[in-house]
Amino acid sequence: MKAGDIMKRRSETTRSTAQKQSNKQESAKQEFPIEIESSLDKNIESIKQMLGDPQDLVIRELTVGANNIKGAMVYISGLIDKELVNNNILKTIQMNLKHFDTDPLDNICQEVIAITDINKVTTLDKVSYAILSGSTAFYLEGYTTVLVMGAAGGESRSIEEPPSEALLRGPREGFVEKIDTNMALVRRDIRDPNLRFKTYEVGRRSKQKVVVCYVDGIVDPALVEEINRRLKSIDTDYAMDSGQIEQWIEDSFLSPFPQMNDTERPDRVSTSLLAGKVAILVEGTPFAIVAPTTIADALSSMEDYNHRWLTGTIIRFLRYLSAFIAMFLPSLYIALVSYHPEMLPTHLVFSIAASREGVPFPSVVEALAMAITFELLHEAGVRLPKLIGSTIGIVGGLVIGEAAVSAGVVSPIMVIITALTAIASFTTPQYSVALAFRTIRFVFMIAAAVFGLYGIILVYIMVNIHLVNLKSFGVPYSVPFGPVFFKDWKDMVIRAPIMMLTRRPAYMKTNDEKSKDKDVHSS
Amino acid sequence: MKNFNYSDENIYDRDILIAIPSMVIAVATLFLPRELASVTIALDGILALLIGGSITILITWMIVKLASRFPQQSFLTYTSLLINKPIAVLLTCFFIWYGILVVSYEVRAIATISHLYLFDKTPIEVIALNFLLVVVYAVSGSRSAIFRLNALFFPIIILIAMFVTILSFRFVVIDNIYPILQTDVKGYIEATKKSVISLSGYGQIGFLLFYISLIRNPVKTPGKAVFGMSSVIGINLLIYTMCITVFGNLATSNLMFPTIELARTVEFPGGFFNRFESLFFVVWTIAIFTTSVIAFDAAVMGLQSLLPKVNKLKFVFFLSPCIYFLSSLPKHSPEVGDAGRLIGTYGLTLTVTVTIILWIIYIVRK
Repeated sequence: MKAGDIMKRRSETTRSTAQKQSNKQESAKQEFPIEIESSLDKNIESIKQMLGDPQDLVIRELTVGANNIKGAMVYISGLIDKELVNNNILKTIQMNLKHFDTDPLDNICQEVIAITDINKVTTLDKVSYAILSGSTAFYLEGYTTVLVMGAAGGESRSIEEPPSEALLRGPREGFVEKIDTNMALVRRDIRDPNLRFKTYEVGRRSKQKVVVCYVDGIVDPALVEEINRRLKSIDTDYAMDSGQIEQWIEDSFLSPFPQMNDTERPDRVSTSLLAGKVAILVEGTPFAIVAPTTIADALSSMEDYNHRWLTGTIIRFLRYLSAFIAMFLPSLYIALVSYHPEMLPTHLVFSIAASREGVPFPSVVEALAMAITFELLHEAGVRLPKLIGSTIGIVGGLVIGEAAVSAGVVSPIMVIITALTAIASFTTPQYSVALAFRTIRFVFMIAAAVFGLYGIILVYIMVNIHLVNLKSFGVPYSVPFGPVFFKDWKDMVIRAPIMMLTRRPAYMKTNDEKSKDKDVHSS
Repeated sequence: MKNFNYSDENIYDRDILIAIPSMVIAVATLFLPRELASVTIALDGILALLIGGSITILITWMIVKLASRFPQQSFLTYTSLLINKPIAVLLTCFFIWYGILVVSYEVRAIATISHLYLFDKTPIEVIALNFLLVVVYAVSGSRSAIFRLNALFFPIIILIAMFVTILSFRFVVIDNIYPILQTDVKGYIEATKKSVISLSGYGQIGFLLFYISLIRNPVKTPGKAVFGMSSVIGINLLIYTMCITVFGNLATSNLMFPTIELARTVEFPGGFFNRFESLFFVVWTIAIFTTSVIAFDAAVMGLQSLLPKVNKLKFVFFLSPCIYFLSSLPKHSPEVGDAGRLIGTYGLTLTVTVTIILWIIYIVRK
């Protein structure tokens, strides 16, 4: 017997860590299979003890029907919808004065309580989990089963326009913190019976709901499988935002580029789902994540599709240009001024030289100082309360614009370059991508300081090497440019007329290639 | 499930289409007009380029066709199948050595030209080392990623070449194309030889013998390869014609790098950049880079087929110092040019001989 045990242990130790963790979690769940007892007082005592008898735990004792059986409702006051509990549970039970001929609990469950979401549970930990997630538990004297009624409510934010991704033209709805609302928002967009929501539980202590969302029949099943596998590997106490889930399941943690899209917009999620992608909604955050993503997604906005194709394409080109400026402009300035002034037209060289006269620093120091100042201002603007935030604009404008120049610390042309770079870096529709660009910009600047144009091109090559090696859930990040999918170029390089965008992206390997309704696709 | 196979090293047909120009277009394109102009009269080099191009296309087609007869088999495997194991190992070693030589040459060439056109104070060794390090970074990644990288860079190379050609139209002197067809046969033969060496990328197309094995189902590959090779010939024809018509035959044959000089004549519209040739060369660095990466990777691939159990990174880190050492051997730029010619002759001879021998044995065995 002992030998058998040892063998068992050995086989356990050879298992992979992910499996071990899931085993651990399962065993942790099974550690407290405390059954509900039949005595009401004991039950109430044990639930009080388990939750530490908090102040907001409400225990409403009552008698049921003409039989006068003792019962109790248990809930946490802030988590429930008071009206629902009072009208549909408490009132209905109290008003019901008939004799129960059959099983009273069954009777109450089926006939009395006017709530749709109702379950029977038999263990203490399930009861406590239900109470903590906003359900109301109903105990009845003499029963080892507890009714758990979903009447969650409490305060929550209403649907607002997403502040991080505002559009001029397009729906104004944004996700909220409640996951049920978010799921409903997606359902409202896609009335397809094949829209699937798979629920996971993440967080050892927070026990948050994480919902994986996809359209069956479009999505590559292997992708869902992979996301499923990665979500199971998450081992954390609490994920306060989908950003943390993202970091748990991303492909490369060393990359500055986000390997998933984060969005507050239901329309972006819906179009991505119809392109064969998978969205992950996390309880407690308005940010959904969409996977997989590519570098081209990073520079496209939902609005491109809502305008006519010509303007949409031009705006997209403008955005490519601004991404280029945001990354390269300061480094080009450094390289041209300090290494290759002969490349600039003569009169421009003279005006630059004239404006740099009296500036005590080399162009690198000047550029770095201005770039860092700008980043400081930006960060301060984000952190400050909105009311004081506007002062930052004034201070920043004065510091960057006037004082620094008139003090002779930086040249006016450097101010123009910093301002242009700043404006350009804000045109990127995705904040996480804009962050990556901003980071890379500094690498370019240092490279330009050391090797001039040659340094810039070497770093550019390196960024490209990184991009082609990066994958987002098995899809190369550089798609559709490398490997080339010419068919997808009409929605990446340009935004072709909407009638031509009838195919889902080829790189997604979707099951159903053609989007039947000729709808817009790909985010 | 092939979506998620992370060791997925398979590539597509169209990747070969792009890979051929990526590996062939490099330093040689920068001075091919000089080589042709020095042995032909006026614009007669076009004929040599066309003949040489046809020969190169034929070689490419033979290589790809042969390799695609053995899908998903490495060069070592099918060569030992056709001849025998020791000779297969020997041939693989030749190709590995050739790959190392090509990388060394490209690294040294880029350092020399940068020294000439970009900065004259930075030591050549430093420029070479930095370039080599970036190449090493690319080679240590996944193999299919290198092909994706080619796909990313290919449009840039085409664009810059087109740009130079279109903008230099202003300076075309029609008289430069006369007299027509006055070159003697010897000159044509010489020019054809030179254009074959250059168009085949110093014989680098031989590496296709290795790479076809990465394609899962290489049915259409020969056609795509021919198409890719034709694009190279097209670019070279354009550049050569522009060089001759702008500079004239005599000037072209005396310019060190006529293609870069062609970029020098260009005036950027709007007057944003003077000296366009610096920008042109910087972008051309990308073309030289892709060539070096493929040559390096081919050498690593050969080593991997010889010693399948050793980690790829070990080969990369073992080869890099050797390459750096080799690249520092030539003393000055004429020696670099000589080394290039030697490597080109060696590479082309190796590729052509191996292909023809393998074809003969393949037909006889069949």
